[in-house]
Amino acid sequence: MNSLAEALAREPLPREPWSAELVRTWAFAYRNIIMARRNVFFVFELTFWPGVAMLSHGLLTRFLHLDARMTAFILVGTVALSAVQICQLDVAYAVLFDIWSKSMKHQFLTPIGIRHLALGSWLVGVARGVVVFLLMAGIGSWSFGFDFIGGGPGPLALFLLGCFLTSLVIGLLVCSLVLLFGTRAETSAWAAVNFVVMLSGIYYPISVLPGWVQTVSAFVPLTYFLDAFRQGYGFEPHYSHAWLRGFVLTAFYVALAHWGLAAAITRSRRTGLLLKLSE
Amino acid sequence: MLAVDARDLRKTFTSGWWGRRRTEALRGASLQVPRGAIYGLLGPNGAGKTTLLSILATLLLPDSGSATILGHDIVREAMAIRRRLNMASGNASFVWSLRPAEVLTFYGGLYGLHGPVLRQRVERLIDQCELGPHRKTEYNALSTGLKQRLALAKALINEPEVLFLDEPTLGLDPDVSIRLRAQIATLRRERGTTIILTTHYMREADELCDRIAFIKSGQILAEGTPDELKRQIRIGDVVVLRLEPVVPAALADQPGVLQVHVRGEQVECAVDSSEKRLPELLRWLHEQGVLVRDCQVHEPELEDVFVEFAR
Repeated sequence: MNSLAEALAREPLPREPWSAELVRTWAFAYRNIIMARRNVFFVFELTFWPGVAMLSHGLLTRFLHLDARMTAFILVGTVALSAVQICQLDVAYAVLFDIWSKSMKHQFLTPIGIRHLALGSWLVGVARGVVVFLLMAGIGSWSFGFDFIGGGPGPLALFLLGCFLTSLVIGLLVCSLVLLFGTRAETSAWAAVNFVVMLSGIYYPISVLPGWVQTVSAFVPLTYFLDAFRQGYGFEPHYSHAWLRGFVLTAFYVALAHWGLAAAITRSRRTGLLLKLSE
Repeated sequence: MLAVDARDLRKTFTSGWWGRRRTEALRGASLQVPRGAIYGLLGPNGAGKTTLLSILATLLLPDSGSATILGHDIVREAMAIRRRLNMASGNASFVWSLRPAEVLTFYGGLYGLHGPVLRQRVERLIDQCELGPHRKTEYNALSTGLKQRLALAKALINEPEVLFLDEPTLGLDPDVSIRLRAQIATLRRERGTTIILTTHYMREADELCDRIAFIKSGQILAEGTPDELKRQIRIGDVVVLRLEPVVPAALADQPGVLQVHVRGEQVECAVDSSEKRLPELLRWLHEQGVLVRDCQVHEPELEDVFVEFAR
């Protein structure tokens, strides 16, 4: 009887239109776009560091008298690092902006899910990653005669998609770390990506890594994407079905990272860190 | 119909290595807030006001106890409830580079608002909160008062049915505080919004709140209307007299007189009820041959109630 009275007293929640899902996702993209447009350091990270990386690595290949094939090997790694780094930063910004501005609680007071936060900021990251790729392709082609479509447009598209999905996973990992450990974990936003690319054979084949490290590398999706894309430049593949393995592994990690961030948010609601990050 | 129904909420925070330091922020707090009421939470610093507010706003998870907002459980149905509540705090902060309309558009988007509805709502709130002249100013360049008004505007973007205000007038100039209080009262009057606020300003609570809860050390010590609370502490009324030639020593022994303090030319008599005791006292003083030059009656302020409970 009591529960019936309670049930009757409950006010029904109005059904939301499906467009609300898209709007929430767009809101995160909207904020990242404004921040990227209005802050000098965003322009800097979009142009300066990728430009410097491409020029310095290109010049290194000249100094070492590397042939076109080996130059491609190195510069593919340079592009991968910059694209992944830029894109994962945008995903991490979905939480870092709130940490830096101490406005964390406002975001998590709203009816948002991880999917909105992740997808909205990731889409801006993809757009910025494409800009970085075009910039580096231009510099590489003009300065060192490197053909980025040499492996074919299909593999290039798959390679970039793989890089951006890897960024999504790293970005979500950074968000989780920040929500678990607070501002102490901020530096992970920059450190995490370097650690991952080091394991994935960014400027070298993973066969040069110690045996146990190679085993660890096999758990990094970027390892497969680099391996598959470099095949287009005439390198022997280290793995069979590298594209498939890379994307399956990425899908698993995206689901895991999504769950991890949801768990980190719940924990920060329990420990009070969510509020502390707003003070 | 209750907007908020919280029962025996408990929350302990741990800190230090292996969580050895434990702070009991809430120790069984219960409160019921009727729909459309303005409800005040008063208490000293560290009493647990913000913790209680944050739990009800779904920002914190309680260790035990239960609470519902508009009949929905704050833990199990948090996502659905968030659509219908919002919160503003005196120390609110937003992303530094965003302009007022962009802040509102961003948070409006997070509530699923878009298109003309969102645009109109943003414009209306910018007008209502007098942010129009600062449209082009980035958040970091806004004054404290403007930041607080923007925080209130953000809290209204989803037209919440339940609104939590944590020290909404903290650090504001008196004229801005008065305008903000007027806005809060208008919200309830025109939209029937249930408002739960914490404040350190007793006048604010007295002016705005229908009911008030005093919270200390994580427990609600007293609850009622401002008048009920003033009566509840039984500090009585204070009768201030100016007497000639002297204050009779037996004044303190008269029926209903609780305390007597002589302050210069004035004598303050705390009595259980001024209505009943004042005629008796005046009659007695006349019989003693004492001339009453002046007589004033002071009823207790909410501040007195606060001091009494915070002691």
